[in-house]
Amino acid sequence: MAPIAMPSALSYELLAKCSITKARAATLHLPHGPVPLPIFMPVATQASLKGLTPEQLEDVGCRLCLNNTYHLGLKPGQATLDAVGGAHKFQSWPHNILTVSFQMVSLLKLAKVTEEGVRFLSPHDGTPMLLTPEHSISLQNSIGSDIIMQLDDVIATTSPDLARMTEAMERSVRWLDRCIKAHKYPEKQNLFCIIQGGLDLDLRRACTAEMVARDTPGIAIGGLSGGEAKDAYCKVVDTCTALLPEKKPRYVMGVGYPEDLVVSIALGADMFDCVWPTRTARFGNAITAQGVLNLRNAAYSEDFSAIEAGCQCVCCRSQDEGGLGITRAYIYHVTAKETAGAHLLTMHNVHYQLNLMKLAREAIIGDRYPAFLREFFAELYDEKSKYPDWAVNALKGVGVDLLID
Amino acid sequence: MTDESTPSHLSQLPPEMLDFTILKRTTTLAPRLGRLSLSSRKTILTPGFLGNTSRGIVPHVSQDNFPKTGINGVYIALEDFVEKHPQKTPPIFQIEASDPLRRFIALPHDSLIVLGARRQPPIPSAATNTNSEIGILTSVGFRTISSEYYAAAARKLQPDIVVGLADIPFGQETIGSRRKDKMSDRTETWTRDIIAKRNTIEKGTPRYNVFAPILPIEKELQSWYLEHLLDDMVDKISGVAIYDSHLLDQLPEELQPLPRLSFDNPTSPQALLRQVGLGMDLFTVPFVTEATDAGIALEFTFPAPQKTNGAERRSLGIDMWQNEHSESVIPLTEGCKCYACTKHHRAYIQHLLGAKEMLGWVLIQLHNHEILSAFFAGIRNSIETNNFEQDVAAFEVFYEPKLPEKTGSGPRVRGYQFQAQEHGKSTKKNPKAYKPLSAPLNVFHGHQPNSKPEVKEVIDDEALVGLVGIENIGRTEQLERLRIEDDHS
Ligand SMILES: [Zn+2]
Ligand SMILES: [Zn+2]
Repeated sequence: MAPIAMPSALSYELLAKCSITKARAATLHLPHGPVPLPIFMPVATQASLKGLTPEQLEDVGCRLCLNNTYHLGLKPGQATLDAVGGAHKFQSWPHNILTVSFQMVSLLKLAKVTEEGVRFLSPHDGTPMLLTPEHSISLQNSIGSDIIMQLDDVIATTSPDLARMTEAMERSVRWLDRCIKAHKYPEKQNLFCIIQGGLDLDLRRACTAEMVARDTPGIAIGGLSGGEAKDAYCKVVDTCTALLPEKKPRYVMGVGYPEDLVVSIALGADMFDCVWPTRTARFGNAITAQGVLNLRNAAYSEDFSAIEAGCQCVCCRSQDEGGLGITRAYIYHVTAKETAGAHLLTMHNVHYQLNLMKLAREAIIGDRYPAFLREFFAELYDEKSKYPDWAVNALKGVGVDLLID
Repeated sequence: MTDESTPSHLSQLPPEMLDFTILKRTTTLAPRLGRLSLSSRKTILTPGFLGNTSRGIVPHVSQDNFPKTGINGVYIALEDFVEKHPQKTPPIFQIEASDPLRRFIALPHDSLIVLGARRQPPIPSAATNTNSEIGILTSVGFRTISSEYYAAAARKLQPDIVVGLADIPFGQETIGSRRKDKMSDRTETWTRDIIAKRNTIEKGTPRYNVFAPILPIEKELQSWYLEHLLDDMVDKISGVAIYDSHLLDQLPEELQPLPRLSFDNPTSPQALLRQVGLGMDLFTVPFVTEATDAGIALEFTFPAPQKTNGAERRSLGIDMWQNEHSESVIPLTEGCKCYACTKHHRAYIQHLLGAKEMLGWVLIQLHNHEILSAFFAGIRNSIETNNFEQDVAAFEVFYEPKLPEKTGSGPRVRGYQFQAQEHGKSTKKNPKAYKPLSAPLNVFHGHQPNSKPEVKEVIDDEALVGLVGIENIGRTEQLERLRIEDDHS
């Protein structure tokens, strides 16, 4: 089909490219303000991030967070969103919102995908529901998010059924066309396509070509983070980014472990989201440069040091530095007993993720991203032999050998 | 609640000495105005309230949000910090810095700390009191602590005020007169202990102030204790903690100038007003957090608004679980200056509760504390202008006598919040619940009473993995499932 030229409500300002890897640093200008790329986007599924006020989220430096179309469509529902005037007003969030679509639906065992859309039983009351590309866009138009995602046909990357995988990929392309047609506000909301095709690189290439031809303001690589091998994941990202236009943001959906982030950036990706950093906070898991610490471990009950030494988040900074001076022992004391324990650790974890992106961006701008990668892995693992093979191999592919100093 | 003007003589007192000035009083058994001040802490005007903490925080209010509550002082229970006792030294006692408790819980420097042994309200402990020990309930079960231990804890933790141990058999319906004699004797001994320990603190190190308990038994039955309090201890105590407000009637003359902390927990604003009317000064007000957990946004002012003839009594709070708020873009209370009301609207808060998002409770808690602060400011103003009695009468006519019934499910009940009797009930109701061998209390995940079944049945992301609403699942199983969720997301 002949692609329709699409208006865009964003501008991608490329600032620097790593001279060795495929890493890029940019500023993405969105309707609710500029955001730095690469970026990690915290997931506020139901228009709220794990007990944090929008102000607290803002204070940790977040300017773009996720909401889930499916959840907001059920609660508060489209009528309320229309009445209130969209999700920004609904949750009093003055910055950008990206709405992911219906990934959760595809995880429902009873979901049935037809050309029309996805049929499933509501997990709330068991009533049959049909989600179509048009409905998804209509909801996202009501939500008013700055970046909206197409409805796609997602199946597990680990599925061995190539025919089904091909069907899903091709259907996702057709659904993108329906989404573009249904999109009412292209001048104020940016529709991103989602590249599908599982772990089959030929399918991914074919899908990328089709999607790029549709000229959406941004491009997402979807269907990953479903438990596939990391090597395969890296190959897909590397393959897709090689075929993408330079001047558009690239969003890899559902990725958020620090190692995955720094490697994916080297492979040319810019945007990431994941529920893990915030979800895990509630169980006492603190993300640090040395790895994840489970502060519910009794060993931390008498550890009166900061959650992470040197961290500049409001929890870790000492009281003399204007912070709270929260210790590991205090997190141990309140985790899973008081909701505020989760709030504290969520702030730290989101800060960690955002700060990691900030440091990566600075390194790219200073053209020292390979050195940044070396430092990152050296900090995370006490010896090189422990570096994960997938990361070593993926980075070797873009010119950085972690095992050689 | 802050009074900018510091009393002029305060600078002449040792820095840790509490000053209580009665600004206005008429007779006994009448409301009074006072000012509780301690150098380097915010002044608390009375009648007033302390933030009622759990594990060092006002529930749902993280330390960075604490300044938004406008609270000037907090009540902290030692039982929230000593679960390792007696097998191990609790972590809180291992902090080698000055002001360890404040540091540990990241409380602002200018917030007053009042330390007591038990949470407010205390849950009856299965461990009975003895001549030297009281039963407490920690997050891992019932324990006892000795009077000596308590005094040592107070010395180490450097609170501003310590409430002396009281021998009260909580949960016991009737108490024999011999037991009451014992209560009086033990409480006297323990009060002497805490005073004696204070006197061992070296000069230059901050010394806590002691509030002596007044037992919830007839005056005659604690007369020995009260007599000795007057004879030997009155100049060494700085206040009293009163477990039964009716005893204000019989408080000896010499104790009248002291500030009175109520441990006779009011269950409604009206009950609170009755105690203020008897001359109570300071409260912990547990019903605020109870309302918050129930999703009830308090809505009352003192004095009450003008009543229109024939109008029905107004509710004391709004049940934010109700669907009627789902498209309402007005604040919880029109004109309220709290963070929740200035930044958010009812539709969002209703959504947060329904979605079991923790922020719902955060916002309601901030609002409820603002309502309470304004309520006390109104009380003080009413006393000042000699309208208190009429205002109370008008308040009782204007509002329902009780807070609204809770309809939605609250945050997961933390084990140490169970009432002992509810405990048995909830485990029977949830037969699948694991009963761990060593029975740490916080692994019981029961629902609070009155929750609507339809609310309980809601399945969503939060309910599946969150801090909230997990039923019939032992902690181990819960954690294992969570790890799976984590790995795949
Ligand atoms: Zn931190
Ligand atoms: Zn308010």
